[in-house]
Amino acid sequence: MIRLRLLLFLMIVVASIPSFVFAQDFDFFEPTTTVAGYGELHYNTYSTDGDPWKKQLDFHRFVVFLGHSWSERWSLRAEVELEHNFVKEGQGELELEQAFVNYHHASYLGFQAGVILVSAGLINEYHEPPRFFGVERPEYNKLIIPTTWFGNGAAVYGLVEGFEYRVSVMEGLNADEFSAKSGIRGGREKGFKVDAENLLYNGRVDFVGLPGLRIGASYIYNIAKGDSITNEINLVEFHAQYQAHNIYAVLEAGNIFYGSGEIETSRGYYFDLGYNIGSLFRIDSKIVPFIRYSDTNTAAKTKTGGDSEKKYHYTQWMVGINFLPIDQVVFKVDYGEKQAELETIPSKMFNLGVGYMF
Amino acid sequence: MKYRLLKIFIVTVFIVSALSKEIFPQEIKEVVRDIITNTFNKDVQYDYEKYIIPDSLKMKVEYIAQQKFFGESVYILKIFNEEILNGVALLDNVYGKEMPITFLVIFDDSGKIILADIVKYREPYGGAVQNKNWTAQFKKKDSNSGYKVGTDIDGITGATISVKSITKGIYKISLLYKEIKDSLWNSSYTDLINR
Repeated sequence: MIRLRLLLFLMIVVASIPSFVFAQDFDFFEPTTTVAGYGELHYNTYSTDGDPWKKQLDFHRFVVFLGHSWSERWSLRAEVELEHNFVKEGQGELELEQAFVNYHHASYLGFQAGVILVSAGLINEYHEPPRFFGVERPEYNKLIIPTTWFGNGAAVYGLVEGFEYRVSVMEGLNADEFSAKSGIRGGREKGFKVDAENLLYNGRVDFVGLPGLRIGASYIYNIAKGDSITNEINLVEFHAQYQAHNIYAVLEAGNIFYGSGEIETSRGYYFDLGYNIGSLFRIDSKIVPFIRYSDTNTAAKTKTGGDSEKKYHYTQWMVGINFLPIDQVVFKVDYGEKQAELETIPSKMFNLGVGYMF
Repeated sequence: MKYRLLKIFIVTVFIVSALSKEIFPQEIKEVVRDIITNTFNKDVQYDYEKYIIPDSLKMKVEYIAQQKFFGESVYILKIFNEEILNGVALLDNVYGKEMPITFLVIFDDSGKIILADIVKYREPYGGAVQNKNWTAQFKKKDSNSGYKVGTDIDGITGATISVKSITKGIYKISLLYKEIKDSLWNSSYTDLINR
């Protein structure tokens, strides 16, 4: 017991030494608490099968970010999201989308643990409204990469020679909630008392060494567990984004392979192309007309085959404008038509939106 | 057995505690030294001078740049090679989303930027601003150049806040440098070695 006390004493003394011996000349850091956030109001109108147009106003997301830095290397980052303005009887959602302790050792190595984001695609980690085209997030980012995809886990990350990497281990998916209509989207556990037996493994590498360009890929592996079944999931996706010289270009493509069950493969892709015409008038505001083409099929390959592989195949085109009076505020308008492979009349949609981030 | 576990716990806490401290002494000075010697040569001499920005000048520059200074002062480094002043560097910080970003801007006698570089980045996201290809965009700019992200300076996807903050910070430092440049270039090598 005496030896233990001695050890404890020595450890405390030694642990306190470095801060004096290695004190920096430039101690720029001060502990800081940061509040940030984003939000978006949507006015959605749509018509399916030639029916009369339906109209809806929805304050889709209100998100508050809270961060605190204890030191240059240790910090907390948390994000709480309220969806659809209130929570009542299964409507709306209140979610803790991020809440992790971060240890930033150096640019090449950091570590975080808590509620973290899955590192896949372009929008799951960067989803503030001014950052993407269209009032709603792309269909691809609902059906193939089920944005926002978060859960309990830990990750290491870093930047080496222009390559950003991130490897994480986190809660798995619930195989019982997979469906032909929405793929793995329903299987997200969102950090709620998750069965920790079958963890999800996620790796991502992006090249960001040229200004304006991000190009990379990610991989996700999980033996998703249900009450009585398991389903081995392999998700592979590729993404590229270029934003420079007033050009905005995006391409994402991904496949989900299922180890068991009726669905064998989900797949999808989309691309956006926009140009900031505000630059032609030499104004500070950004006015970015864009086009989008999207193709998704959550049951692209099934055991049954035939029409079951066409039922959830949708192609969509969209045109719209993102108007950013300042870079943190965006007004959006878009019109699109979505064609199901087995239907003759496309669904039509016209959306208005306003979003912000700070 | 229970004391053994306790010992393991204490040792673990110690290791994490030691790692979390600045175990690399004077990290910023070392990075600055590397940047300067890579830009000029290993024989250059310089020293750090803490420059308290006069209130009126501070307000004027902040108003034009539309960004507050990180503090009341910046560090100035006069870089001599064989007793001839080769350049002047200013070391300052801006805030990213949460953390300070330490950056260095080296100017020539005409006020143009010889090099801008990130000395220390502390955020978990947006680290791509450290890429030399991105900071190279500031070369040859001066206080009269354009600094608009998206038009004059290409952005970085996933680093919006850091990109804007650093760009404004470099513009702000170029405005400050324009105001104090003449007094800096009139100093001699003797001033440096006598300090």
